[in-house]
Amino acid sequence: MNLDLFDNIEGMFFRERENISEPVANDRDNAPGSDKLFAENTPLAMAYVPFQQWGETYSDDEALNRGTLFPQLDFPFTGGGDGR
Amino acid sequence: MNERRTLLNKIKKYDFTLKELDLYLDTHPNCRRALAMFQKYRELRRKAADEFARLYGPLTPEQVTSTEKWTWIGDPWPWERS
Repeated sequence: MNLDLFDNIEGMFFRERENISEPVANDRDNAPGSDKLFAENTPLAMAYVPFQQWGETYSDDEALNRGTLFPQLDFPFTGGGDGR
Repeated sequence: MNERRTLLNKIKKYDFTLKELDLYLDTHPNCRRALAMFQKYRELRRKAADEFARLYGPLTPEQVTSTEKWTWIGDPWPWERS
């Protein structure tokens, strides 16, 4: 197997990260590493859930309506059971 | 929508916001912005629940303040339309 294929994987990883909107940088009250999407030395080829950062919130009215207080977690389900 | 239901809806919204902040704070226990918002909504919720109990009777048995009558069983129940 030609492992040279993966030589540049780290570069790809960081280039991808540049496209992701920057997390709130000055919220350093949180646990170490939590101001980054991934902790340092994150191993490759594992599944990760990005750590939520404090951001915008809906009003209480809107939150109950949307089903979440956080616009960044507002993912309406648009698929239907029978192809709708 | 009558005033009783409006007030009940307000409490419902506060409860939802508080639960969302509760879940966020479970994983971000030192986030001061979330804590401040939680305290703000805790107070709003408390005031609204007190007002509801004063006007329309207790939402929970703990809100019964009467020494004359067990008002918890009085109609209507919180989920009943009126």
